[in-house]
Amino acid sequence: MATGGVVTDLDVGDVLGPVEFTLSPFVVREYSHAVEMHHECFQSANELFMPPTLIHLDKLRLYNHACPGGTGPTARIHYEYDAEVLAPVRPGDRLSVSGEVKERYTKKGREYVLIEMQLKRVSDGELLVRYFDRVILAYKTRDEQAA
Amino acid sequence: MTGQPMNPITLEPGTEFRTRPRAMTRERMRWYVDAQPTIAADDGRVHTQPPTIHDDDEYARSQGLPGIIADGMISTNWIQGLLVDVFGAQFACRSRLQTKYIAPIYEDQIVTACARVATATRNENGASVYTLEVWCEDDTSKKLTVGSAMVELPV
Repeated sequence: MATGGVVTDLDVGDVLGPVEFTLSPFVVREYSHAVEMHHECFQSANELFMPPTLIHLDKLRLYNHACPGGTGPTARIHYEYDAEVLAPVRPGDRLSVSGEVKERYTKKGREYVLIEMQLKRVSDGELLVRYFDRVILAYKTRDEQAA
Repeated sequence: MTGQPMNPITLEPGTEFRTRPRAMTRERMRWYVDAQPTIAADDGRVHTQPPTIHDDDEYARSQGLPGIIADGMISTNWIQGLLVDVFGAQFACRSRLQTKYIAPIYEDQIVTACARVATATRNENGASVYTLEVWCEDDTSKKLTVGSAMVELPV
């Protein structure tokens, strides 16, 4: 188990979370504003939906929970996003997010990590969003870092 | 945009959509950087974080980059915004979006988000199901982000 340290130490089988939280209208509107999604369903005073991409920030929520030491010696590069929305998420929903490191491997001198995450409604356990996130742990290759 | 679909039932395979071209300015990159601690705090105030490869050239160069690059989630969100333009709020209800960042996006690079309908079918419940090829390209048509999407529209 590599949890409890820094993100770059995470390894296959590490479980992140679960972490519970309540989705707020502020978070929906602020996130949508930051990425210029000015649609009423993301910016109005009511009738809001969670933008599916917001699941990506739940990964940071899990990192903060599982890796109190922070990022580690290198900055991550996001490589792949894959989110499936199975049911809508609304502000006020009490949610639980969890993750598991599914892969860690080296390709062309760079280390990749794949995390699978699930976002569920606490009240009934319904799976709302499934997310796969693949990152490169450092832009520099191992050889470049060693040089 | 209202989040109301344009009339998705009429979409045919091959139909293509594009956003307007946008420059990936330093400010657009920083908006996403600042959003992260702001959302984590969730207290209604703006928060900032230590330097990142998305908002600090010196730090980006220390990581082997020539300068700041955009967070990949910005291009994913620009694609998502386009899909919400087309399909409305239903994209937030039953959908899938996959994106892969195949080239860095540098400061002031021009980016257009694009989507092309690949298939249009009905599922066992009678819902319309669209799959799409999605991508972001620069002003030379070089692809920067590539992927696919699915959206299900109920009867």
